Amino acid sequence: MEVLSGWWDDFFWGSVVVAQVFLASLVLMVIFGLIGAAAKLSDSRFAQKIANGYTIVFRGTPEILVILLLYFGSAITLTAIAQLFNPEIKFLDVPPFWAGTIAIALIVGSYATETFRGAFLGVKPGSIEAAQALGMSTLQVFVYVRVPEMWRLALPAFGNHMLSLIKDTALISIIGLNETLFVAKQAIGTTGKPFTMYIVVGLIYLGFSTVITLTVMGLERYGHRHMRAAT
Amino acid sequence: MSFDLPLIAEALPKMLMGIGLTFQLLVLSAILGLALAIGVMLMRISGKWYLSWLAQVYIYVFRGTPILVQIFIVYYGFPQLDFIREGFLWPIFRDPFGCAIVALTLNTGAYVSEILRGGVLGVDRGVLEAGEALGLSKSQRFIYLTTPIASRLALPAYGNDIISLLKSTALASTITLADMTGIARTIVAQTYAPYEIFISLAIVYMIVTFFLQKLLGRVERYLGRYTIREG
Repeated sequence: MEVLSGWWDDFFWGSVVVAQVFLASLVLMVIFGLIGAAAKLSDSRFAQKIANGYTIVFRGTPEILVILLLYFGSAITLTAIAQLFNPEIKFLDVPPFWAGTIAIALIVGSYATETFRGAFLGVKPGSIEAAQALGMSTLQVFVYVRVPEMWRLALPAFGNHMLSLIKDTALISIIGLNETLFVAKQAIGTTGKPFTMYIVVGLIYLGFSTVITLTVMGLERYGHRHMRAAT
Repeated sequence: MSFDLPLIAEALPKMLMGIGLTFQLLVLSAILGLALAIGVMLMRISGKWYLSWLAQVYIYVFRGTPILVQIFIVYYGFPQLDFIREGFLWPIFRDPFGCAIVALTLNTGAYVSEILRGGVLGVDRGVLEAGEALGLSKSQRFIYLTTPIASRLALPAYGNDIISLLKSTALASTITLADMTGIARTIVAQTYAPYEIFISLAIVYMIVTFFLQKLLGRVERYLGRYTIREG
């Protein structure tokens, strides 16, 4: 354990980066998923085609490839644009934080698209009709009936998407994000103890996964609070 | 900046040289992972608390940590341990291919065992009671009733896991293996053309995914050949 002394704070800050990437990509993932589900459920053929293309591409491509493509692709595009204004510039990139966050949000968002779509379809027509009979507007029906009923249905799968997000943050170390895996690599460079360092990283991720799992369990209980009598 | 088509024509055959390695990783770890998963699932439903507990710890650890960390622990971490270096399994852990197989097997085994358990729990009790009434022993019921029905129930989710396993094989490129992704990364480092290389590789993966899904659909139809079609 003494080999770890001096590295605790680095691992702590690495964990903070993991948490930041997770939260940022969570917000984006929900947005991508909702847009995708809305497009798939819309009447527009065009929107459906785009959304189908989105889910096929991002569910069929390895995560690491998406991350590498987004990071290096955006870097050469940015560099090319920058060189139009100032030929002196050699290299310009999107920070790995954002390239990676957007990449994993796009990937998991493609799975969330299907989850949200299924959950919206699972809302009982009777509930919607009842709300309409009460004179609710389309927006009111959406906010007060569709969303509350849908998120309860989506929650179990959504919990798995959150676990995928947290685990995918590890891949961003490949493009140089200073999260825990990256810290471990540096620590190994000086201490020569790869097993110890990577086990620490594993335990950190296990901690994150546990927190997410417990949160989802709590949310599920909260979502079903008025249904307890039925179960 | 333009899309360099001749470069793709030149790079694609090189990347396809890695498809054999990708398939080796996929098939070997899928088979070993399935064997492991069956064992773990049997432990989980054995009714013996220590076996079930052991299986749960294994599943929790391997589903709660990123596959990349697992690969790094096996490849970079294990050589730190003396008993591994002096043990008879050292030839496997010395070799990046062996390490990739071990990590992918352990990872997929954890997911698949839960999928199989879901299938086994989904078998209708009435069928088992009928078997009991016919005088079948416990193991006969498991082999002749539970196994065929559970494998049919588990197959759709198992298919998804095979697809994620295919995507995980791309991570073998992080431990120096020259699978399709590994070759692509080398070419990008030389040519600095991420768009051309990574997008064409993504298309290759999507094609492989497409054929895997077709194949799984066939198996699904075969296993479901006795079930009555609705509509």
